[in-house]
Amino acid sequence: MRIRVLKGRTIVLGYCRGTALVAKKPISFLGGVDPNTGTIIEKNHDLEGKKLKDTILCFPHGHGSTVGSYVLYALAKKNLAPKAIVNQTADPVVVVGAIIAEILMVDQIDIRQIRSGDKVEVDGEKGAVKILEKNPCT
Amino acid sequence: MHLTTEEEKMYDGEYGWACQISMRILTRLGDLFSATKLIPIKSAHLSGVSYKTLGDAPIEFLEELAKTAGKARVEVTLNPSSLDPNLTKFSRNKHEKQRQIIGLYKKMGADPTLTCTPYYLKQPLQGFHFAWAESSAVVYANSVLGVYTNREGSPSALAAALVGKTPDYGMHRPENREPAVLVNVETRLRNEAEFGALGIRLGNLLNDKIPLLKGLPKHDNDDLKQLGAAMATAGMTTIFQTGKPVEKTWQEKVSVEREDIENTMESLSTTAEQPDLVFLGCPHCSIEELEEAATFLEGKRVKDNLRLWICTSRWLKEKAENYVNIVEEAGGHVVCDTCAIVTWLRDLGINSVMTNSAKTAYYAPTMNKVDALFASLSECLETACL
Repeated sequence: MRIRVLKGRTIVLGYCRGTALVAKKPISFLGGVDPNTGTIIEKNHDLEGKKLKDTILCFPHGHGSTVGSYVLYALAKKNLAPKAIVNQTADPVVVVGAIIAEILMVDQIDIRQIRSGDKVEVDGEKGAVKILEKNPCT
Repeated sequence: MHLTTEEEKMYDGEYGWACQISMRILTRLGDLFSATKLIPIKSAHLSGVSYKTLGDAPIEFLEELAKTAGKARVEVTLNPSSLDPNLTKFSRNKHEKQRQIIGLYKKMGADPTLTCTPYYLKQPLQGFHFAWAESSAVVYANSVLGVYTNREGSPSALAAALVGKTPDYGMHRPENREPAVLVNVETRLRNEAEFGALGIRLGNLLNDKIPLLKGLPKHDNDDLKQLGAAMATAGMTTIFQTGKPVEKTWQEKVSVEREDIENTMESLSTTAEQPDLVFLGCPHCSIEELEEAATFLEGKRVKDNLRLWICTSRWLKEKAENYVNIVEEAGGHVVCDTCAIVTWLRDLGINSVMTNSAKTAYYAPTMNKVDALFASLSECLETACL
C-alpha cells in the first residue's frame, strides 16, 4: 500500500513506532482515565475499557480539569502511558501533561485518517505521522 | 518567543530541573498562544490543593519539583484543601495525604492560605499581572479588580510561580479584553443567587466570548462574585465587562429575560426536600457576607437535624471573631481551609446540600454525588433555622 504521511506540528520531540488507538471523543484525563491502570473509564466514551499503555494515542483534544496533566505524569511514572500523543488540536491540559511526562506529542494532525490498529510512525522532529500499515480488520 | 539570557539559562537547566520543566511549560504554552515574551507577575494562585480532586497522581510530580530546588520566585497563595482539620474528620490516610500535599507546596514557598478568594487577603493592585488558577478568582480579578491574569491551570500557575513570570498572551494584552457580545439583562435580578443563575445561563451561551452586561440592577461585589464564578463554571469565561456600552455595531447580542433566570434557577435544584447541609461560601465569604449571615442568625437556632456551614478563609475567620461567635452560638459552623465541593461530603453523611452558590449547585450532583437545592442566602438561612 501507499504510505500516507500526515503533517502536523511538533509539541514534544521524539520518535517512535507503534499501534494507533484512535478516539472520536475528546479525553479528560482527570476522571476519564484510571491513573492506576491507564484504562479509559469515562462512561460512554468510545474507548471505554481500553488501555493506553504503549499505544500511539490519537484523539481530537483534551478537556476537563487541568489536574489531568498530572494524571499523564503519573501514568508515565508507572509505565502505563502511551508512547505518543497525536491530537487534532493541542489544548493546555494535554500539552502540559506531555511535557512533564516526557511523552512524544504532535498536533494539527487529521486523525480521521488513522484507524485503531494501524501501524504508525510518529516523528516529533518533523511533526509528522506516517501510516505504515493499515489495520486489515477495518 | 524571545527569552532573556537568564531565561535561556533556566530553560537549559542551570537552575535545576524544577525551573527547567517550568520554563518548558511556559514557553510551549506561549508558543501555542502566540506570546512574544515572558512578563513578570506579582503573584501566583495555585489550584490543585485538595486531595479529593487531585488524588495521588500529582504527588510524585510535586515531590520531584520540591526536591530539585523548586522555589517560588513570587508570592504564592493556595486554593482550598479537602478538609478543615478542626471540623471535618476523615480517615487517617486522607488527613496525611492532604498534609503531605500542603507541605510540598509550602516547601516550594507557598503561603498555605487555602482559600479561593485570595483577593480578600491582600488587595491585588490594579493593573498588575498575575498567574492565577481557580476560575472564579480569575474572573473576579479581571472583571472587578482590574488586574491581568489568564485562566491558568494547576500546573501552569505552578510553573509561573517557580519562574516568576508568565507568557504575555490572552488576558495580559488589553486588546484581548474587549467585549464581543452585548448582553441585555431585561429582568431585575433580586439577589445574589439570581446573579449566579445569570452567570450559568451566560456561561452556557457564550463559552469564552467576552460579554458586556447592560441593565444590571444595583449590585455589590459579592453579586458580581457569584455572577463570575457561575460564568466560569458553565463556560470558559475569563472576564466580563459592566461599563457603559460603547457606540459600536455589535456583531452579537443576547437578551436575558425573567423566564431564562427562572428556568436556570430551577435546573440547578435536584431536590425540594430539606437538605442535610446548608452551605454558604462558594466562593469563600467576604466580610460583608459573614456580617449578613451573622445579622440574620443573631438570636436564632439552627435545626438539630441539619448542618450549617459558612466557608471562608482562616485569615478572615480570625478577623471576624464577632460574626463567627454569633454563627457558632446559633449552632452553625464557620468552616475554613475547604468548601463543600472539594471535601468528601458523603463521608460526612451528607446527601443533599442547599446553597446560594450557582457554582456549587452546578457541581455538587456530579462531583459530590449529592442532591442540590439552589436559593438565595436568606432563603438558605431560613431553611437552616428553627
